[in-house]
Amino acid sequence: MASAYLTHQQKVLRLYKKSLRHLESWCIFRDKYRFYACMLRARFDENKNEKDMVKATMLLKAGEEEFWTNQHPQPYIFPDSPGGTSYERYECYKVPEWVLEHWHPSEKAMYPDYFAKREQWKKLRMQSWDKEVAQLEAETPPRRPQD
Amino acid sequence: MHPTSLMMTSSLIIIFVILTYPVLTTLSPRPQDPHWALSHVKTAVKLAFFVSLLPLFLFLNEGLETIITNWNWMNTATFDINISLKFDHYSVIFTPIALYVTWSILEFASWYMHADPDMNRFFKYLLIFLITMIILVTANNMFQLFIGWEGVGIMSFLLIGWWHGRADANTAALQAVLYNRIGDIGLIFFMAWVAMNLNSWEMQQMFAVAKDMDLTYPLLGLIIAATGKSAQFGLHPWLPSAMEGPTPVSALLHSSTMVVAGIFLLIRMSPLMENNQTALTTCLCLGALTTLFTATCALTQNDIKKIVAFSTSSQLGLMMVTIGLNQPQLAFLHICTHAFFKAMLFLCSGSIIHSLNDEQDIRKMGGMHRLTPFTSSCLTIGSLALTGTPFLAGFFSKDAIIEALNTSYLNAWALALTLLATSFTAVYSLRVIYFVSMGHPRFNPLSPINENNPTVINPIKRLAWGSIIAGLLITSNIIPIKTPIMSMPAVLKLAALTVTILGLLLALELATLTNKQFKPTPTLTPHHFSNMLGFFPTIIHRLTPKLNLFLGQAIASQTIDQTWLEKSGPKALTNLNLPMITTTSNIQQGLIKTYLSLFLLTLTLALLISY
Repeated sequence: MASAYLTHQQKVLRLYKKSLRHLESWCIFRDKYRFYACMLRARFDENKNEKDMVKATMLLKAGEEEFWTNQHPQPYIFPDSPGGTSYERYECYKVPEWVLEHWHPSEKAMYPDYFAKREQWKKLRMQSWDKEVAQLEAETPPRRPQD
Repeated sequence: MHPTSLMMTSSLIIIFVILTYPVLTTLSPRPQDPHWALSHVKTAVKLAFFVSLLPLFLFLNEGLETIITNWNWMNTATFDINISLKFDHYSVIFTPIALYVTWSILEFASWYMHADPDMNRFFKYLLIFLITMIILVTANNMFQLFIGWEGVGIMSFLLIGWWHGRADANTAALQAVLYNRIGDIGLIFFMAWVAMNLNSWEMQQMFAVAKDMDLTYPLLGLIIAATGKSAQFGLHPWLPSAMEGPTPVSALLHSSTMVVAGIFLLIRMSPLMENNQTALTTCLCLGALTTLFTATCALTQNDIKKIVAFSTSSQLGLMMVTIGLNQPQLAFLHICTHAFFKAMLFLCSGSIIHSLNDEQDIRKMGGMHRLTPFTSSCLTIGSLALTGTPFLAGFFSKDAIIEALNTSYLNAWALALTLLATSFTAVYSLRVIYFVSMGHPRFNPLSPINENNPTVINPIKRLAWGSIIAGLLITSNIIPIKTPIMSMPAVLKLAALTVTILGLLLALELATLTNKQFKPTPTLTPHHFSNMLGFFPTIIHRLTPKLNLFLGQAIASQTIDQTWLEKSGPKALTNLNLPMITTTSNIQQGLIKTYLSLFLLTLTLALLISY
């Protein structure tokens, strides 16, 4: 069950992953990257059994600061990820489903099977609408008093 | 009319008709043929190229230049605006080159954009761009040039924002429009000054009348226009951002044709500039600064298209330096040779990007020489031409420019910056080849790498031939207007080659160091300066809007209220009257008995005196 706050473990793991990604952006060749990645892992493993939460948090803070100073200004981002070169590239070609309603009959006639099935689907949807709404309302938790 | 000049003018009109016909057919209500792009547009451009060779050969054989005035639009007693086309040395050579490059790019685009549902519209936009570019190049008056200028700006906006669902693409398109607009202020200022003082927008009259006038202000306006359009320092960030558009757009607009429009304008206006030392020095220093700054930024970029974009900007700076040396013909030569190898570099990058599933980061390429040998060979040929390898295309223009710079007695700083930028060119070119072609692959093995498609190979092959022989062909056939300096010390003659080789060796050394286990990160400060583009966009793109918004907020919320209430309205009246009121009411002290007794005394005295 996720909440608004991150646990210490989550923060450490996020720091580790983004450090590895930025290290990969710096060390382009795989053998060099592997060497420094192992060094980084050893540094993290050194303190992994720390029981004192205050000290652990101070170590995490120092780690975040070290990350901030050494980060890569143009980290490698996968093309389809947010910030990548292909991200949202095809959004302009995505149209909502109801546009199919507005096709000209001559265009709809090109795909008779699909549109026939679509008519059936629409009928089914009309029939089950009330039942679906009732089910969703039953599943929704009640609103908090202070909202 | 002489048959030769008749042939020249008719072939040029035919070129315009051939290019506009496909655009006009799109206006018909009939649905378009899905292969319209390939069958109509590419064929039109190919045909126009072959037709344009006739005026070229007529010019080379007979030195025939022609000016056609087609249509009198507005003619008053003192001012004429006509549609007149000028086919002189510059436009006659540039038109076939532009058409050849466009033909290759259109063929490549039919492969690159084949999955795009709107490919016909894409080709239509490219064709409209080509028409407006030719209008710009063949204009004989400033009005027509302005039409072409704005036309290429608009098409650039539409094409950069082609994938308009992407926020970054929209931002980049807006950036291009805004920066070009700032440049347009300079151009409009120039046109207004010329209309008022030289009384015409026709180039022949401008050059004749402006002989002994002080042209500093209008020329500075022209330089601002060129700074905006040709991405010189100060108005340059739009060019790397323009890489958001598809690769054919980057190859056509933002390397070969549109960005050279600013330099072309200065070349056209060179008779006005040749006697104005202020303008020439401004061009020289601005160009030198641009070429070094953008070459520095290119050193640490990781996106292959951005590296080529900064390389374009650096070469544009070099062209500006040549204008500053009062050598417009050399600048034009560099425009022509640069078009070939830069378009080829972009097409090779596009081929590699598509082969690696839209991967543009050179950190995730590698080993392409074994996987796509043809493309990587052409990438190498293009890079060699770019760095000025002897006897390839770039050598004839670049070497001539640096020789002219070396033997002129002008600004030594400009010379130093330009030579440094030349060595940086070699460094980042080697960096691209090292990370893309050499070594082992750093990407997923499941990539659709395929070089067997003739629509990809033939355009790159044509441009490769151009990159190899264009320089030789053009310099062998054109008579230079200014005599180049023939004899100079060997050091000066070999300066460009020396700095290029030094840059290459340095880059090789650094590349081998990258692979060794020294330290994970380089020295951060210079790397960050180069990688963040000198922090120029970071500062300017935040500071200027912030200042404008604060000014707007201050005007809207404070200034209006302040002006109408406190400075001229009710409060002003209050502030004006209150001191007078307080002074007046403070004069009397409230001593009623004294005032009454004084009153009675003076009344008694008055009565006694009067009676």
